[in-house]
Amino acid sequence: MNLFKKGTDEQKSQADLLFEAQQRKQNLFRTQVALSWVFLLLFLLFLFSGLEIKSGEGVTSLSAWSFHIITQNNRQVREKIEKPLASFPFGLPNEGLDLKTIVVDGEFIKENIDFVAEGIIQTIRISILSILLAMLLALFAALGRLSSNPFIYALSTFYVSLIRGTPLYLQIFFFFLALPQLNIVLTGLWAGVLALGLNYGAYMSETFRAGLASVGKGQREAAIALGMTPAQTMRRIVLPQALRFAIPPMGNDFIAMTKDSALVSATGFVHELMWRAQKVGRAEFRNMEALVMAAIFYWIMTLLLTSLQSRLETRLSKGDR
Amino acid sequence: MVPIVKISNLDKFFGRLHVLKNISLEVEQRQVVCLIGRSGSGKSTLLRCINFLEEPSHGTIEVDGIKVDGGEKGAYHRQLVHDVRLKTGMVFQEFNLFPHKSVLENVIEGPVIVKGMDKKKAIELGEENLDRVGLLFKKDEYPNRLSGGQKQRVAIARALTMEPRVMLFDEPTSALDPELIGEVLNVMKKVATEGMTMIVVTHEMGFAREVADRVLVMGDGELIEDAKPADLFNNPQDPRTKALIDRYRTGEQ
Ligand SMILES: Nc1ncnc2c1ncn2[C@@H]1O[C@H](COP(=O)(O)OP(=O)(O)OP(=O)(O)O)[C@@H](O)[C@H]1O
Ligand SMILES: [Mg+2]
Repeated sequence: MNLFKKGTDEQKSQADLLFEAQQRKQNLFRTQVALSWVFLLLFLLFLFSGLEIKSGEGVTSLSAWSFHIITQNNRQVREKIEKPLASFPFGLPNEGLDLKTIVVDGEFIKENIDFVAEGIIQTIRISILSILLAMLLALFAALGRLSSNPFIYALSTFYVSLIRGTPLYLQIFFFFLALPQLNIVLTGLWAGVLALGLNYGAYMSETFRAGLASVGKGQREAAIALGMTPAQTMRRIVLPQALRFAIPPMGNDFIAMTKDSALVSATGFVHELMWRAQKVGRAEFRNMEALVMAAIFYWIMTLLLTSLQSRLETRLSKGDR
Repeated sequence: MVPIVKISNLDKFFGRLHVLKNISLEVEQRQVVCLIGRSGSGKSTLLRCINFLEEPSHGTIEVDGIKVDGGEKGAYHRQLVHDVRLKTGMVFQEFNLFPHKSVLENVIEGPVIVKGMDKKKAIELGEENLDRVGLLFKKDEYPNRLSGGQKQRVAIARALTMEPRVMLFDEPTSALDPELIGEVLNVMKKVATEGMTMIVVTHEMGFAREVADRVLVMGDGELIEDAKPADLFNNPQDPRTKALIDRYRTGEQ
């Protein structure tokens, strides 16, 4: 009895050791990944830092470029100005090297960041309206695919095929530019929402269909045996399970949609992030700064939504199934 | 006595496959009937015809005075089928509990949604039935946290909470680990002694011998034997029944 007990103790501690070693390895990997991210971010910052490194004829110097507002002929203009930072008494021979990174117009960003940021609200508004429309259409299209009525089946496959067979960009213009020819004039916002909703609805119908298919036949039979009508079975038993299955991929679709909403800017009448960035960028020929601003906003939005989504997913997986 | 289930000249085809051949059968109130037979002989199909999970091709099903002709269509037929389903409770081999609902929610779903029962009353009734199967303490759990035997007992409670006149069981223990079969059979025994009419498709010969009032044997879509368990096990008439019983005997050893 004693011997046996000792044996299992030793075995257990060995398993623990192995487990700990594995854990350490995983932690190390995660730390290294995090450090690499920091390095990549710093490198990106450096690329846009406006630093210049010159090395030649035995001298190496480091300087920083930036834009400053100066008055010239009674007019305020922004001028690129170099500011020496350091110089060292050694360097490469002859021509040497002159490394200059991108100079970002900080003054321009300061002046315009509020205007561009306001676009976030519109971007989110379009995305939410569109995803709601898309979910509704996807649900009907998925149910239509299960229908035994030939016309309804045809309607849903026709819709999905037509939308998937044409570019989203074209669809947006169709609703904004082509419909007025038929005396249907939509605001830019609604044209965009309709186009995005129809488009994503077609793609998401596949997700919903998979969700519906994931609910076993036995679930329907159990509901029917209890005396539920087909509608009750669908609403109370099948749909809740199908939707739960479809939520994670729908989160991905929503995130993708916040970015595709940028295409709506092409109509010129929806003042979302992308439109605002283009407008200020073109006005002062500061497209790089404007687009970098928009890119950062989109990126942050995506990061926030992704973390929200993963939190939602863990919450869902905790419940049942 | 008026039979509570009466099946007359029942035929069922799957495409060209003739699965049930002119079956007639009466089950009295409070009777426990076990249905045995080789795989593919049509046991499940017969059981599922009683509550119209399968629509009979021909013949009549009568449950507690509601008489339904098979193979019909239309709103009136659907209403009759619905009424029959309210009279019958079904327990499946794979439990089929609703995974997105707690144990109690599973049990009260039928009464509340189908019968429109007041929720408070349904909970009372549901808890009573969960207690009957010994699982009241699990009422707030979700099905994925239950063992197979517990799931099947909840499924039995779910069917009982609809207060059916007849309970249909389709191999209720076949998906269970051997050590979990006993608890389910015990619950079924209890339900039987409380006076429920039961039709049980099963391979559990011990249960059939101990609990059943009658054992029916199916072979190739026909009822080939209908006898008291003692008679059937000691003195089988049809060679197919003999083979079946011999197989279980050797299986038991
Ligand atoms: N939905 C269906 N479509 C076509 N054929 C079916 C269908 N359901 C059952 N069958 C066929 O009907 C016959 C009887 O099947 P059934 O399930 O009633 O047999 P069973 O006696 O319950 O068998 P088991 O012991 O394997 O459960 C089998 O040949 C089966 O293949
Ligand atoms: Mg079967």
